[in-house]
Amino acid sequence: MVVFDLSEWTWTAMGPALVLALTALALFVFDSINPRSTNRPVVAGIATVGSLASLGVAVWYVLAGVGHPDTGGAIDLFGGQLVVDQMALFFMIVVAVVTALVSIASYDYMRDHAYQAEYYSLMLLAATGMSVMAASNSLVTIFIALELASLPSYALVAILKDNKGSVEAGLKYFLIGALSSAIFVYGISLVYGATGHLQLEAIAANLDGEYNGLLGVGVLMLIAGFAFKTASVPFHFWAPEAYEGAPAPISAFLSSASKAAGFVIAFRVFTTAFPLETMTDFGVDWALAFIILAIVTMTVGNFAAATQNNVKRMLAYSSVGHAGYALIGLAALTVDGGELVLGAAMMHLLVYGFMNTGAFLFVALAEYWGVGRTFEDYNGLARQAPIACVALAIFMFSLAGIPPFGGFWSKYFLFTGALEAATVNPALLVVAAALVVNSALSLYYYSRLVKAVWIEDPVLERETLTQPAGLYAAIVAAAVVTVVILPGFGPVAELAYDAAAMLVG
Amino acid sequence: MTVGIEYYVLLSAALFCIGLFGVLTRRNALMFLMSVELMLNAANINLIAFAFYHGNLTGQVFALFTMALAAAEVAVGLGIILVLYRNFRDVDVTVPSAMRW
Repeated sequence: MVVFDLSEWTWTAMGPALVLALTALALFVFDSINPRSTNRPVVAGIATVGSLASLGVAVWYVLAGVGHPDTGGAIDLFGGQLVVDQMALFFMIVVAVVTALVSIASYDYMRDHAYQAEYYSLMLLAATGMSVMAASNSLVTIFIALELASLPSYALVAILKDNKGSVEAGLKYFLIGALSSAIFVYGISLVYGATGHLQLEAIAANLDGEYNGLLGVGVLMLIAGFAFKTASVPFHFWAPEAYEGAPAPISAFLSSASKAAGFVIAFRVFTTAFPLETMTDFGVDWALAFIILAIVTMTVGNFAAATQNNVKRMLAYSSVGHAGYALIGLAALTVDGGELVLGAAMMHLLVYGFMNTGAFLFVALAEYWGVGRTFEDYNGLARQAPIACVALAIFMFSLAGIPPFGGFWSKYFLFTGALEAATVNPALLVVAAALVVNSALSLYYYSRLVKAVWIEDPVLERETLTQPAGLYAAIVAAAVVTVVILPGFGPVAELAYDAAAMLVG
Repeated sequence: MTVGIEYYVLLSAALFCIGLFGVLTRRNALMFLMSVELMLNAANINLIAFAFYHGNLTGQVFALFTMALAAAEVAVGLGIILVLYRNFRDVDVTVPSAMRW
């Protein structure tokens, strides 16, 4: 293991986010030199290389033990406004992976678009915001990073300017996003009023119980902000609309990376700033709020997904359901522990980053072919495109949680973690039961899609389907990782548990 | 003589509720945007009043950031409203309703 000394250059700990920011700037420079250029290989290449470089730096830091307790612990930057620890690096990896997959796939999907460099630079800016969210350690940096992730996302959803669906989706996403960020910042101002600080450790140190009402309302409003970013009930309404109307690679980007970034700030804020034991003494039991949110979110998401006819909308509701699974990570935290279940939630978000991105990219491939949007339109695709359909089957069974794939393991760890926490708080038995029932239900609609592509006969005769290299590469890469993450689960799980233990312990 | 902190909180809560009422009832996208601005400025009043009350500057500095972000949000929002108008010949937020579950 390389011994790594960052004492002189602590700011380099933000490397993965800095690489993404520099890539966005490089795209701006390219665009300002050559404004009307639609040189897709160059812009998609810059975006892909930049996000892969960010991934490389993040993986290197993890292997070198940056932020690990053995090498000096978490690195505080700018007076604790940012912190780089194992969890920050873990989620920087998730964001970089999804960005890389989406930029490769966009090469083919956005082939007719007039504004190439703008598209990729907005995407890289949003990815920078998500990467910084992973390391934010103060309500100020959290809010700024969250807006840096949100504002380019609104524009990306509406980027097909002449497509009514895309504009409608962008409008709805923007309206709900603006409302929820106003609620979020008002919540921040109330927490500031109750404690006099915005840095997370300082908030925790100044919880004195003097203004419990103010603090309680503030925490509730913060939960509303997180619920928007993670597409959880009650702020999930935008998700089906935005994902259905947006270009499919952007749906993949938002539903995987943006959701993971929303969860990382929720994990950090609630474990660092509002320790459960103090908050329960004040009568602000946020774990109970997350228990309710987790159950309602997974049930609403899965039941709504089961009734859809449009494949993209089904995936959108399934992503709401998966937000409910990941919420178990916060719901099952108890006063004396919970790193097991928090680590499981992080793992679920990593695996989800691959399988869900892959599933949306398959939809992107179908839109590229122009086969249509409903389940019937997908009938018999396997005869013409067997490789992509094998990958689709892997994503679907992994999302449902069928044993050999990555999705099973993360759900299994969530389940055992919830059961363990149930010895302290019996309400978690309901959460664990809801997880099992919803997973069983989800198998119905996931397998319906697999049945459509593999077993059903095509409704109409199709012409031969092309094989766009970029989309295929991204889909196959996502499928391979979804499968091989099984032998690799040991190190991944270890990293996630270390990260969670640092946060909780 | 200074004004008590509770009056500031009352003012900001009132402003926040007016903004929320506007968000829930207005159908014009521009009025919606203005209502969101009211809600953001309610948070600014809180931040500045609490900064004075606690005697540190954190809240005031954050209020400056909030204003800048609000401006950026309006810029993106107006862009989206512009393409909305080009596609639907209207800025009524209830007109685009092709996607319903």
